[in-house]
Amino acid sequence: MPFDLSWYYEIPTARAALLMVAAFVGFYWAGAVIVRPILRMFVRRSPGLNDLIGYILSCFCVFYGLLLGLIAVTAYQNVESAEQNVTREAAALSALYEDVSRYPQPYGQDLRWLIRDYTRYVIKYAWPLQQQGIIPEEGTIRAEALFDRLLDFQPSTPGEEILHAEALRQINHFLECRRLRLHSIRAGLPRAMWIVMFVGAFFNILLCWMFDTRFLTQLVLGGILAAYLGLMMYLIVDMNQPFRGEVSVSPEAFELLYQRMLED
Amino acid sequence: MPVPTDSHPLHGGAVSRRGALRSGVAATLAASRVLAPSLFVGCSLGIPPRVPTVRIGLLHSQTGPLAIGSTSLRDVELDAVERFNAAGGILGYSIDPRAPDPRSRTDLFPKRAATLLDDGAVALFGCWSSASRKAVLPIVEERDTLLFYPVQYEGNETSRNVIYGGQVPNQQVLPALDWLRSGPGGERKKFFLIGSDYVYPRTTNFIVRKWLASTDAGIVGEEYFSLDTEDFAPVVARIRESGADCILNTVNGAGNIALFAALAEAGIDPAKVPLVSTSVSEDDLRSMPAAHVAGQWVLSSYFQTVGTPANAAWMAGFRSEFGHDRVFGDSMEAAWCLINLWKQAVEEAGSFATEAVRQVFARGIGFDGPGGRMTIDPATQHASKHFRLGRVRPDRLCDVVVSSDGPLAPDPYPQVAFPGWKCDWTKGGLEPGPEVSIDG
Repeated sequence: MPFDLSWYYEIPTARAALLMVAAFVGFYWAGAVIVRPILRMFVRRSPGLNDLIGYILSCFCVFYGLLLGLIAVTAYQNVESAEQNVTREAAALSALYEDVSRYPQPYGQDLRWLIRDYTRYVIKYAWPLQQQGIIPEEGTIRAEALFDRLLDFQPSTPGEEILHAEALRQINHFLECRRLRLHSIRAGLPRAMWIVMFVGAFFNILLCWMFDTRFLTQLVLGGILAAYLGLMMYLIVDMNQPFRGEVSVSPEAFELLYQRMLED
Repeated sequence: MPVPTDSHPLHGGAVSRRGALRSGVAATLAASRVLAPSLFVGCSLGIPPRVPTVRIGLLHSQTGPLAIGSTSLRDVELDAVERFNAAGGILGYSIDPRAPDPRSRTDLFPKRAATLLDDGAVALFGCWSSASRKAVLPIVEERDTLLFYPVQYEGNETSRNVIYGGQVPNQQVLPALDWLRSGPGGERKKFFLIGSDYVYPRTTNFIVRKWLASTDAGIVGEEYFSLDTEDFAPVVARIRESGADCILNTVNGAGNIALFAALAEAGIDPAKVPLVSTSVSEDDLRSMPAAHVAGQWVLSSYFQTVGTPANAAWMAGFRSEFGHDRVFGDSMEAAWCLINLWKQAVEEAGSFATEAVRQVFARGIGFDGPGGRMTIDPATQHASKHFRLGRVRPDRLCDVVVSSDGPLAPDPYPQVAFPGWKCDWTKGGLEPGPEVSIDG
């Protein structure tokens, strides 16, 4: 995690968006009152300066817009990829549950209990930890217990051999997806990207302060730009951590699976 | 020339900076007034208040040979903690259960216990074998923490830092021997003792030897096997040769599968020579073919078939969370009672501190569990427990054949085996008697 934004993810979504927008607009307006008069001492009444600033700002916005767009897409892809991993992990568990249901007793029952135990742990204990950016540890114990018990089974017929091979394939797939899910808990944009984004936003605002326009126009137009910048930042920060915040990957896939397991 | 004033700006009708600022401030104040209720409710950003937490440690093996039985105890304790938290926690604190895996290895139990206590656990729940409990004992005594031990054991131990929730021999084996020697029990006189080779079976059989010595019954054989023994056919042949009319089984773990199978294959009829097991629960029985176990006898304080409303409610609640095919056993019931007793003690003490909680136990408290009321004896910190003997049905559950009228008081030092040994924590603690050699 490049910056500790734990507190931010606990704010309800609408308020977090408003907070980010208010921070950017507030910063812009404060700058307009405090910094703009100083800047204007250097640039005021320079003929054609507004055109020059406008030209630089439009060039800058192209690059900055591209950067923000690409980062937003990357963050969105991270969320989507985390969501896909969660779905695949639940699907692999579901298939494994079906496979082991055909095992002779007591293996079949033991394995079903262990799969249910793992699924329940993910929903009740692992997810709240993930939402705090903490990698849950006790899921590994449960996954190991499941794997160990599966390896205890020695197939004695060709049918059991095929079933066991399929179960082993499923458990390996499940472990792979699980590892990817755990990896994505703390995955996020690197520190350098955050710096470039915020410095870029600052330059954007700085250029706007330099415009020689009426004060109210400055406040309104610059405020709109700052608000949109804030909204983009909110979007990226919110999607940066796939399991954190109100808009995050949910345990729904596991919940549906567990519900079905309980109905057996 | 017009004089610039706030009301007459210079820029012919354009808004002056001061005017704009004034309007801006007014607008901001107005907006703040409108938005404040939703933005700054309770001077917060809407971040939910954090509930303070208290950590407890659940010390149960989740991998290795003891895993299946132990994992069920962890599940029962998690279920209890979830119910506590859903009802508002204990003393306003949410309980945070941590369950590391000692991997069925005696050497890992004290390490995991120490880590849990280092991480702030206020109490420990768990251990399975006597070896694991004895390994954890120095840690909990040194750190002055309470360990809640839910498994039946051999006795011959007391600690200020352990609350024992399982049966001791005077609540399990000795009443069983009494009944087996009686008319309804078949007037059995020749007992063959078979057990795993560790402290619980050896101490229990020592007590049995001493107790039987004062009766007209006798022991016709006594053998011990390592926990990983899989071939019991030779000993079954020796049991047959000995003429035993009852086999007292203190084998623990997976060895029971092979023992039950060997007896069934040898054609030993449970109606004539029953195997009376002390360490087998319904949870273990489901691992064995019905033909191998039906008709055999099991000693326990609790069976799933106990027909109390509290038992039905407990099983229904647990199954709705963990699955409708879950099977219940004696240690699970003891674990449930112990964690509820801990909650009760903490609430009565108004504190999670060990000494405060222990003082409540010293006054004597009880809990109406699924198998009946469990009370903790202040003198020994052991539980009063029902004695029950069950016969295994073809569906591998047990019918209660004989039961004590009520809970039996615990006696960790039966005088027949440990003469002179006494324990009363309300009057000075343990008074050791003459040294006793278990193997002697």
